[in-house]
Amino acid sequence: MAKARAIIKRLKAVRNIRKITRTMELVATARFKKAMDRATEAAAYTKKISEIVADLSSALADAGAKGLSHPLLEKHAEEKNAVLLVLTSNRGLCGGYNASVLRNAQQRIREAAGKVKLQIEVSGKRGINFFKFQKQPVDATYTTFEDKPTFEQVDELANRFIKAYINGEIDRLDIAYMRFETMSRQKAEVVTLLPIGKLDTGTAAPAASQAAVEYEFLPSPQEILEEIVPASFKARLFKAFLDAAVSEQIARMVAMKSATENAGEMISTLKMQYNRARQSQITSELSEIIGGAAALE
Amino acid sequence: MAIDKSLRLVIVTPERTIFDETVAQLRFPLFDGDIGVLPGRLPLIGRLGAGDLKVKMPAGEERHFFIDGGFTQINKGTVTLLTQRAVPIDQISVAAAEAELKAAKEQSARSDEQFARKAAALNRARKLLKLARTAH
Repeated sequence: MAKARAIIKRLKAVRNIRKITRTMELVATARFKKAMDRATEAAAYTKKISEIVADLSSALADAGAKGLSHPLLEKHAEEKNAVLLVLTSNRGLCGGYNASVLRNAQQRIREAAGKVKLQIEVSGKRGINFFKFQKQPVDATYTTFEDKPTFEQVDELANRFIKAYINGEIDRLDIAYMRFETMSRQKAEVVTLLPIGKLDTGTAAPAASQAAVEYEFLPSPQEILEEIVPASFKARLFKAFLDAAVSEQIARMVAMKSATENAGEMISTLKMQYNRARQSQITSELSEIIGGAAALE
Repeated sequence: MAIDKSLRLVIVTPERTIFDETVAQLRFPLFDGDIGVLPGRLPLIGRLGAGDLKVKMPAGEERHFFIDGGFTQINKGTVTLLTQRAVPIDQISVAAAEAELKAAKEQSARSDEQFARKAAALNRARKLLKLARTAH
């Protein structure tokens, strides 16, 4: 009987696990939908900014100006100090999400080693613990960015980076995060945010049709540009945070889905084992009784 | 050229689009003063200031928002306001506005840059407070 008991105990445990993973899957699905809605709503801002940038650059080109120039767009002559911002999750159980972001971050750290002084800033408990385990000193940590990063929080961060870059304290800003492409495709990436290589002007076609419109500029295009470049940087940084939030929920959803499936499979094998064990026990008991009865005759 | 007689206002913040409706006319602060927009306005790109956005709906009612810097693009009868913050004024609390003004007053201003920032913060907070008081 002992064997069948042990199997039953195990079976119960697996059933409980399946219940938990299934609930977590549902929660992740709901969170993902919310995060996705936020990301699509925020996309309108980024789109408009790039539209205005396209209009501005065409207006500047018409005026014969040498093009866009802004301290954030210019590369510093020497790359001495760099910052790497790593976006990970606060909570685990999301499959390979954190591992793949951190793998890319490590690659960047190795690349920079010896050549530039790299400051590492980490968001998310998982990343913080990882770097602690690796005994890699970290310059700043954030745990406030949950699945709903607000623009205000990101704005604060962005202002600090902008100031440091303009003052020449940092020469480069990279961000390691999981970029959201589609529902079924997310990619861990290290992206250089500063200097802004070139501003997104969208595809060439809308830019050409926009050029036909003659805008009145208040104040001059150059002055508007001075304001819009930081705004565009902030929008990009914010988008990275939103993407990371969406990707985290998708990763958790997928991980929990397969965990639920695995638990289901395990339950059916355990059930079979239990039935076999029970049957063999009955058979052995029966043969003992029959044996005993035969001995009495 | 036929002039399209409708005017659409779209207010976009980094987090979401908070307003997208047809309006009769509107007035909002640019970097150096207020601008009024009627249907048929020629294309414009401008920098916004902080202050009161007054919207007149086609039915005649008026709506007010507090906007805080950003950009505007007017093209083909659509006014797009890109701003960091846009709040309907009945949602601003006087106490919060007062706290903001106090914080602005306490900023230190030792360099030109700090002074400019403080002046901007003061201006913004005063306008916010004024709007909050008119709403309540």
